[in-house]
Amino acid sequence: MGDPGALERLLLQHAVQEFLFMEADVLDSRRYEEWLGLLTEDIHYWMPVRRTTTAREVDREFTKPGGIAFFDDDLAMLKMRVNRMLLGRAWAEDPPSRTRRLITNVRVVSGSAESEGDEVTVASNFQLYRTRLDSEEDSWLGRREDVLRRVDGGFRLARRHIYLEQTVILSQNLSSLF
Amino acid sequence: MAAVMDRDYYDVETGVLDRTIYADEDIYREELAKIFGRAWNFMCHESQVPEPGDFFLNWIGEDQVIVVRGRDRVIRVLLNTCPHRGNTVCRAELGNTQRFLCSYHGWNFHLDGTLAGMPGEEVFYRGNLDKSAWGLKQAAQVDSYHGFVFATLDPTAPPLPDYLGWVGRLGLDFMASQGELEFLDGVQKNRIRCNWKIAVDNLFDWYHVKVSHGSVLQVGLFDEASLAPMEQMVLLGEFGHGIGGPGISEEKFDEAVARVRGGPGAREWYDRTVRDRMQPEATELLGPVGRRSFGHPNIFPNLWVSTSPQVCLRIPRGPGETELWWFSFQPKEASDNHKRRNVYMANHWFGPGGILEQDDSENWSHATRGARGRFSRTLPSNLTMGKGADRVAEDPSGQARIETVVNEHGQRWTYRSWQEWMRAESWQELMANHSMPPTGTV
Repeated sequence: MGDPGALERLLLQHAVQEFLFMEADVLDSRRYEEWLGLLTEDIHYWMPVRRTTTAREVDREFTKPGGIAFFDDDLAMLKMRVNRMLLGRAWAEDPPSRTRRLITNVRVVSGSAESEGDEVTVASNFQLYRTRLDSEEDSWLGRREDVLRRVDGGFRLARRHIYLEQTVILSQNLSSLF
Repeated sequence: MAAVMDRDYYDVETGVLDRTIYADEDIYREELAKIFGRAWNFMCHESQVPEPGDFFLNWIGEDQVIVVRGRDRVIRVLLNTCPHRGNTVCRAELGNTQRFLCSYHGWNFHLDGTLAGMPGEEVFYRGNLDKSAWGLKQAAQVDSYHGFVFATLDPTAPPLPDYLGWVGRLGLDFMASQGELEFLDGVQKNRIRCNWKIAVDNLFDWYHVKVSHGSVLQVGLFDEASLAPMEQMVLLGEFGHGIGGPGISEEKFDEAVARVRGGPGAREWYDRTVRDRMQPEATELLGPVGRRSFGHPNIFPNLWVSTSPQVCLRIPRGPGETELWWFSFQPKEASDNHKRRNVYMANHWFGPGGILEQDDSENWSHATRGARGRFSRTLPSNLTMGKGADRVAEDPSGQARIETVVNEHGQRWTYRSWQEWMRAESWQELMANHSMPPTGTV
């Protein structure tokens, strides 16, 4: 009770979670154009390649920013992905996949809720379950590190780093958004 | 057991293929021995293992191998299986090490694969184990071409340059014509539910582009002239190597050269590619016909060379599964802009997140599924496009080619060669009985 910042942190945690849960719902509901509206103009959306290394060389586990990645997108590229899905000719997503996102272990890593324009860095774990057609299944687990920026009283996603647990991606493709 | 190759799976006369080859477990087992066990398989680029002790794991069929640079700087390919009890001796997919240590009983190996020692050498083995006889098994032959390292498990395989022939070499010359390449860290790997041969033959397939990849044309990632050019050139080589895809006529090449000389040239893909090919070294390296090919080479059996510049392995994982491994490169001397563009292409076109490849895997997996049903597998696959309608044009340089529209010459050549590999009991037999690339009407 003697912690004067506790309430502020609680409110921030709540606001951040509300944003992430709402975003997951937007994607699970296939409201992709609405999802684009949750992103800042300068978003960087990035998923590096992961490798099995010895514990001694674990600093080589992930590829570095600027290098080879599974996703390395700016807003224009994300718009292209979304526009493609809406065409009815993107065969990996038509018939559409059914997805469910579980977002857990949400932690505010840095930033505060006080001033306008503040950025908040948020770590979370996710499970993205996808099933397609009659029997195809994919399940991706991983960690995300997001930068949320306060815009017009709400959050926008300004950066997302996605770290999958798999090295060889055990799916046909990564046509879902994480 | 009945012989696996008890009938024609590919009918050379009609261009019709038996779908069984995409589903049958016995055929798949035979492929591991007769194709992957015999061929020169791509391992990695020399720049992936620049220092002594650097290693990279890869596969020859379903046999895992360690590609490692020794203290003598020689690159070797070692089977990743301990001669003692079969355990893997290397579990990291890349790294640097002094030795390979088996985590089961502690047998340990020098970088050249020789057995360095083991616990209890004197006390338990009583000094009776001949260490020189119990090293890691090495690939029979290892060699490289333009820095691309290949290995074969068959000591009787012809030397790499002969194996590649002019078509296989030209496939890699395309890469070398961009200057000295360096590897971009990070191999994109994913698993697709398709037979490996479908992933291979698709690289000659310029028929699927406008339908499979119609969505990327519509969103404007590519223009139609670049993604689905009308002019095609096919070059066929011994042992199943082939190059099939866009090619430009001599006149159009000269026109493009004139355009580019007059200024930056058009922004279209032809002009961009022609600009690279105008360099005298490139012309010399690629030859008068080769410089006009912008097509897709397959180094038989399973290495797609994409001038992005990337190469992609199609690694078999059973009859119904294939891993795709994308290796990306950039010219060492390129401008920062050029390098950024390389990374952009590598990250957005291919690979599991690639906007082009996503739809491929969906189609290939369902084509594989179409070979699984008891009745659907008895139906043929049709590879007849352009059959009997084109001519092989000879050239004084020796670079014979077919200049035509969209076609299935490359696919037919792949399956014809596949059948010859599968029929031959040895390299000697394959050498004696394989088809030479066609001449005249094809």
